[in-house]
Amino acid sequence: MSRVSRGGRRFPAVAATLLLLAGCAGHSRLVETTGPAGLPPQVELTATPFHPQSDQQCGPAALATVLGAAGHDASPASLSQEIFLPARQGSLQPEIVAAIRTRGLLPYELEGDLGTLFAEVAAGRPVLVLQRQGFGPWPAWHYAVVVGYDATRDLVTLRSGTRERLQLRAAVFDATWSRADRWAVVALEPGALPARTDLTRYLRATAGLEATQRYEEARAAYDAAATQWPYEPLPRLGSANVEAALGHWREAERKYAAVLRLAPGLAAAINNRAEALSRLGCRTLALRVLDDGAARLAPDEPLRPTLTRTLAAIEASPPPADGEPALCAQLQVR
Amino acid sequence: MSFRKGLVYALCLAVLNLGSPMMAHAELVGTMQALEASTRTQDLATVSAALAREQVREQMTALGVDPAAVEARVARLTDTELRTLADRMDQMPAGGDALAIVGIVFIVLIILEVVGVIDIFKKT
Repeated sequence: MSRVSRGGRRFPAVAATLLLLAGCAGHSRLVETTGPAGLPPQVELTATPFHPQSDQQCGPAALATVLGAAGHDASPASLSQEIFLPARQGSLQPEIVAAIRTRGLLPYELEGDLGTLFAEVAAGRPVLVLQRQGFGPWPAWHYAVVVGYDATRDLVTLRSGTRERLQLRAAVFDATWSRADRWAVVALEPGALPARTDLTRYLRATAGLEATQRYEEARAAYDAAATQWPYEPLPRLGSANVEAALGHWREAERKYAAVLRLAPGLAAAINNRAEALSRLGCRTLALRVLDDGAARLAPDEPLRPTLTRTLAAIEASPPPADGEPALCAQLQVR
Repeated sequence: MSFRKGLVYALCLAVLNLGSPMMAHAELVGTMQALEASTRTQDLATVSAALAREQVREQMTALGVDPAAVEARVARLTDTELRTLADRMDQMPAGGDALAIVGIVFIVLIILEVVGVIDIFKKT
C-alpha cells in the first residue's frame, strides 16, 4: 500500500480508516502546529544512524538510534542485554530511560503533543516514541524514532523496525502515538535544555541522574536550569544537593543559603542548610536556621516531620569541644 | 619512625575515627523528594524502595533476564522507577515487535474464512 497517496477516489476509504484510528478526535493539519510555533515547515535529520531491528528488538534498535545521534554509539545487540525482557518479548519504558541515563545523558520525557515533538526534531534531536499498533484486544507496542516531519505534506518520518525511512501520515502516526499516551523521550547532553522545557519534568529527569550518582552531569543540568529560570529555587536546591552528596559542605551551605533568599519557606532548603551547617561545625547557627525556618513553613508542609527529626539530631549532637570554627561567625541566619 | 610507633599512631587514629560514625547525622531532603513536596504529589508508596528492588529483581529473573545481568539492571533504576516496575511490570506496554500484527490478521482471516464471511483461501 502506498502510505503517501493523497485524495482522489481513495479518499472515502482513507477517511474511514483515519476516523477509525483517530476515534472522534478531530485532526488539524500539521501547518497549524508548526506555523504559529515558528517551526520550519519541514525537517529531516538525515544524519541520524539507522539500526534495522531484528526479531522483537525494536526497543534496542530505537535506543541505539537516539544514543548514536547523541554521540554514544552502542549496538542493538549489546543494548538488548540492558533493556530486553525475554518473556515479555519487548522492552519497558523505565529501562530505556535508565539506559540513556547510564550514559550520562539526560532522558527528558516530552509533554505529549506534536508541537513539542517537532520542536525537538527541529532542534536537531531525534525523538524515541512508543506507538500502539494492533487492534482492540491485541495491542502491539512498538518503539520507533521520529527523525523528521513535513508540514506541507502532513507527513512524519521515522526510523522504524526494518524501515530506514518510514513516512506516515501525521494523523496515522498521531493515532498510534496517542494510544501509547504519547510517550516520547530525548537524550540530552547535560547542560542543554529541551526546545520546550517543562521545568518539573526536566527536574525530575535530572533528579534521576542525581539519584544514580551521576553527580557531574546532574549539576550541569541543574545549573543550566538555574540560569534559564534564575528565580526558581528548585534547580539551585538540586545543585546544592549535588555538592552535599559530594561532601562539599561549604559550597553546599552557600548554595542552600542562596535558595533560601529566593524561597525562605522552602522546607527542603531549610532542612539541608541546617544539616550542612552542622557538618561544618556551626551547630548554633544550624539550630537558629531551623528555628527561623519553622515559622516560615506552609501550614500543610509535608516535610515538617523531617525538619523535626533534623532538629532533634542536631540538638542531640554535642557542641564542638574546642568551640565552633571561625567560619561560623561569618555566616548569618538569612 | 619505628614500625611500633607507626602502629600506635595508626591505632590511635582508628580509635578516634570510631567516634565519627556514632555522630547522628540528620537526613538530607533529596531533590526528588523536594520536588514531590513542592508539587504536593508526594509518593504515597507503601512499598519501600528496598522491597520494590527485591520484587523487580525477582520479576526480571522470572521474565528470563540473564541472572548475571539482573543486578546491574536493577542498580541503575531510581526508587520511583523501581516502584513503578514492582507494581506494573507484567502489565506495562512492552515495546517489541509490530510484526506480531501480521499473525493476528492471519488468525482473523482464518476465522472469517471458517465462518464463511470471506472466501479467499483456495479450497481443494
